[in-house]
Amino acid sequence: MPRPEPRHGGQRAATIVTAALASLLLLFLVAPLAGIVGGWGLDGLRALASDAELRASLGLTLETATLATLVGAAGGIPLAYVLSRRRFRGRGLLAALLDLPLVVPHPVAGIALLLVLGRGTPAGRALLAAGLEITGSRTGIVCAMLFVSAPLLVSAAREAFDRVDPRLEAVARTLGDPPWRAVRRVTLPLAARGLVSAGVVMWARAISEFGAIVVLTYNPKVASVLSYERFTAYGLKSALPVAAVLVLLALVPIAVLRTVHGPDSLPERRG
Amino acid sequence: MIRLDRVTATAGTFALRDVSFEIDAGSYGVVIGPAGAGKTTLLETIAGIVPVASGTVWLRGADVTRTPPERRRIGIVYQHAYLFPHLSVAENVAYGTADGETAREMVERFGLGALLDRDVNALSGGERQLVALARALATCPDILLLDEPFSALDPRMRVLVRRQVRALHAERGMTVLHVTHDFNEAGRLGHRVVLLEGGRVLQVGSPDDVFRRPASPAVAEFVGAENVVPGRVHSVNGSPDAERVVEFTSGGLVLHAVSDVPEGEAHAVIRADEIALAPERRESSVRNQLDARVVEVAPSGVLARVTVDAGGVELVAVITARSAEELGLAPGREVVAALKATAVHLC
Repeated sequence: MPRPEPRHGGQRAATIVTAALASLLLLFLVAPLAGIVGGWGLDGLRALASDAELRASLGLTLETATLATLVGAAGGIPLAYVLSRRRFRGRGLLAALLDLPLVVPHPVAGIALLLVLGRGTPAGRALLAAGLEITGSRTGIVCAMLFVSAPLLVSAAREAFDRVDPRLEAVARTLGDPPWRAVRRVTLPLAARGLVSAGVVMWARAISEFGAIVVLTYNPKVASVLSYERFTAYGLKSALPVAAVLVLLALVPIAVLRTVHGPDSLPERRG
Repeated sequence: MIRLDRVTATAGTFALRDVSFEIDAGSYGVVIGPAGAGKTTLLETIAGIVPVASGTVWLRGADVTRTPPERRRIGIVYQHAYLFPHLSVAENVAYGTADGETAREMVERFGLGALLDRDVNALSGGERQLVALARALATCPDILLLDEPFSALDPRMRVLVRRQVRALHAERGMTVLHVTHDFNEAGRLGHRVVLLEGGRVLQVGSPDDVFRRPASPAVAEFVGAENVVPGRVHSVNGSPDAERVVEFTSGGLVLHAVSDVPEGEAHAVIRADEIALAPERRESSVRNQLDARVVEVAPSGVLARVTVDAGGVELVAVITARSAEELGLAPGREVVAALKATAVHLC
């Protein structure tokens, strides 16, 4: 074999360095979570059977995250459609505003929500009169989850709509469909996978939320708040089974996303 | 009937400006124009997909400028088919109709029977185009808009589909507007030709009008007239505005023409197949017999393109390769280029 050129040697060194850096990052990301599941996963599952508070907290988390996702989808999918299809003044500004909840620190998001929906505010009083207590309630949890995770759904849903050629909808219109029917028969089925994964992303983000929820509603405790409470009140050891359950729970949306998109799915072929 | 009245519309980077023309009910209109002329935008404006900024669109005598596409009763077939990728071939064809009978008729007409259960993403370009045509026609529109519908077809298929479209046009008395960049297709299919460039209509007329009597040198060059010569018009006799015999000069070239263009600067347009070459002058009714010298002979198949210099102006004549051979045409050879006064179009 001919000796490699010095330049190739340099390239090989660069490849080795890059691979090493990438591996280190991967290890850093995966090792702590794998450690928790490996070490305390079984304890966590056993705790599920014996620990009623953990079970209740987990149920509450799943329920509120699901509710937040449904509300987010009901408002977010039409909004995403409009952002994808219509050109109007202020569209850029609207898109930027939608990103704001994602970049604000989450306790700040909770404080902001408290200022608008708290007991002393006009909106809070009005909601209370309607029988909706925000702070310290399930509603508060849903509000906090919605605020921090709905923007993710909107941007993912918008991308899903962007991938469907508007001409397909135009053709459906010329074939006799009014606008909403063309959307239902053509655009929604073609964007369906993207919309499902947008919902899953929002749901996963809602499940993992802590900062905004803890400001708005400490009790009843969602799982993230519970794990934090156990850690601060009883120490690492009693927090670990809860943490392990939360990591296992996080595997659910990841598995769903893999199923929706397939392990090696390619972008949809355009018509 | 399709009529546009000073229509202005914008879609992305394409714009239509002040477009007016009319296609009679039941006739076959062809829009020709280079890439980027706004041909697809024009069809989408008629279909109601692209909104009109100003002007009026009329279909079947009614103002439809603000009517949504689903109530215009038109069919549109794009160059790239735009089949619904989540539906089968059968579902695509039947998409716009509740009447299974018409869908079945279309399937039969376009020979799609064997494809019905296929995934549309597995079809060839030509097959996709057939499905798109069947899908549009299954709703029985009386106005059909075609955007380069044959360009994805192989030549054999093209002949077949063109025949089907023409048959359907005749049977149903449909009004068709067909966009193409292919002059042959335009001449063969159209009753009326609309010439579009840069979003503007350059000329509207019968194919013969547009090809033989282009309205401007730009149109002449666009429709492939080989000889477009700038020069001056001098009246010989008759009223200066009416049709009369005029003299056209360009350098040392002097041509007689029949025209109503006013005196002054103009262009002479002469199609290459209107110029005959002869070894010497002859007694005949042909008014223009020009002394010329052969510059180049370029054979292509059974024809030969012969470039001659007549009075300092180069003219291209197309004659049969056989004639070129018999005349012994070669660069430097003196010939007479003959053309009738009516073959010289001034604009």
